[in-house]
Amino acid sequence: MAKVLMKGNEAIGEAAIRAGCKNYFAYPITPQSEVAEYLAKRLPEVSGVFLQGESEVAVGYMIFGAAGCGERVMTTSSSPGISLMSEALSYIAAAQCPAVFVNIMRGGPGLGGILPSQADYFQATKGGGHGDYHLLVFAPDGVQEAVEMTMNAFTLAEKYRGPVMILGDGMIGQMMEPVEFPDNLKSEPSNKDDWATSGMDTRKSNKRNLVRSLFLDPTELNNNNLALKAKYARMKKEEILYEGYNTDGNYKVLIVSYGTMSRVCKTSIDMMKEEGIEIGLLRPRTLFPFPEEAVFKAATKESCKAVISIEMSMGQMVEDVERCVRGQRKVDFYGECGGDIPTPEKIIEVIKELI
Amino acid sequence: MNIDIKGIVIICGNYGSGKTETAVNLAIKRKRDGIDVKIADLDLVNPYFRTREARVLLESLGVKVILPDRQYMHADLPILAPAVAGMIQQPSELTILDAGGDDVGVTVLAALENHLSKKKVHMLQVVNPFRPFTEDVKGCIRIKEEIEASSKIKITGLVGNANLIDETLPEHIYKGYDLLKDLSLATGLRIEFITACSNIIPQLDPGYFSCPVLEIERKMNPPWKRLSSKGVLIHGV
Repeated sequence: MAKVLMKGNEAIGEAAIRAGCKNYFAYPITPQSEVAEYLAKRLPEVSGVFLQGESEVAVGYMIFGAAGCGERVMTTSSSPGISLMSEALSYIAAAQCPAVFVNIMRGGPGLGGILPSQADYFQATKGGGHGDYHLLVFAPDGVQEAVEMTMNAFTLAEKYRGPVMILGDGMIGQMMEPVEFPDNLKSEPSNKDDWATSGMDTRKSNKRNLVRSLFLDPTELNNNNLALKAKYARMKKEEILYEGYNTDGNYKVLIVSYGTMSRVCKTSIDMMKEEGIEIGLLRPRTLFPFPEEAVFKAATKESCKAVISIEMSMGQMVEDVERCVRGQRKVDFYGECGGDIPTPEKIIEVIKELI
Repeated sequence: MNIDIKGIVIICGNYGSGKTETAVNLAIKRKRDGIDVKIADLDLVNPYFRTREARVLLESLGVKVILPDRQYMHADLPILAPAVAGMIQQPSELTILDAGGDDVGVTVLAALENHLSKKKVHMLQVVNPFRPFTEDVKGCIRIKEEIEASSKIKITGLVGNANLIDETLPEHIYKGYDLLKDLSLATGLRIEFITACSNIIPQLDPGYFSCPVLEIERKMNPPWKRLSSKGVLIHGV
């Protein structure tokens, strides 16, 4: 298929359709409303449904309902909206239902602003809702990757029977880039007859399924948590994604950065290279599971004297970077979180202070 | 062939068709031609990449820019600067209104109907066939009709803005022009001009087009891209 020019938000919508998602529930919020606008036009063409909830709280449970029936389902929102959905996220994780959540982050806390931000890192990777659960979190750095990750998110949500999140800053949703869509996702043989409340007349087995997050028996609850823990351990083995940039040579400083911010860092790295300064970048493409070993290895390369986490936040991922570097190198941080994306020149200034 | 458009020009089109980039470059070109130019950002629906991003550059060239109050610059609120009505009543030699995308984006024009109905206006539909929903004549006509219904203004001309940003090739411009010719035939609308980035123009066969070509120096760039004065990407992946 030839390339088309799409906004990240539109491309995420199209990717969901190509992944076979016919259920999309959402509530509008800047800077992600184009997903809903796009899918409002496109879903009826494939006999799908876009239903706007009366709030993000309602949307969270509409997702839970559809996911519990074993349907491919997605919602998209932005930071404050995701906060409202977080209770449902915890329930969906506990009940082990596959669903795709997209957070196109805006500035916070509170209503914050409508410009790009990465300040929901903690919320996405460390909880948001209550209890011992994780989301598998993808962090695209552009429109093409947002498409691929969105499609993959449906596959992995089903593989792990749990919620998967696409975490993009506002720029990922708003910018336009040429994009090419992979082949439509093929429907894998599903085991949903074993767990989904899809209706007795639709499945072969006579087993009654119950989708629930309430386990009053302590052993049962502990077992459910152990099952979740085992899934997260498997994700750490099988799903970690990252990219190294200029990491083959002898770099003096390692930048760890993701999403839009990492693209600014790449520009600064190219500009510094022209001055003869070698800087490496490690870009986590999954934020949970986090590329722990890759960060450790890249940080402890002999030439590397310092590590810096660069984020559009006040310092969140840096805590994971510090944890992974295990005290072997000094870990610095630079971040801005008002909505203005730091320029390549600013990053160069920050790096030069380190060396 | 030169672009000699004057009067009140409204730039509309489907979402993401490149209205702002077209409007800003048209303003710069006509200012350089030596005429007085005013431009107003009427984009009330798009949160990023709006005319307001090019304010400093436009003002430094002497183009008068009308934007919402500075305190509302980053709001996603439908704020229409009162000065817009004033600029329609007392237009410059060229007055450009950069509308928002789709039918929703031009609803604001209906609010200006009292002022606009007394004037002759050029209402130009920008088309990029590489955008969703306008890849064929049928899609472009649907958008045209939706825009006309919502704005209460008839479209008077077409602008071709075929591009894939940094990945644009001459064949994309030709393909876009071919579609525009079919659209022109189907609607009876005149092709006012097409656009092409400065770095593509030398590769184009000027004999292919029977309309002027507006040179685009891209102003709406993401912060990691660094372009040369000729519009060639130097840094940024």
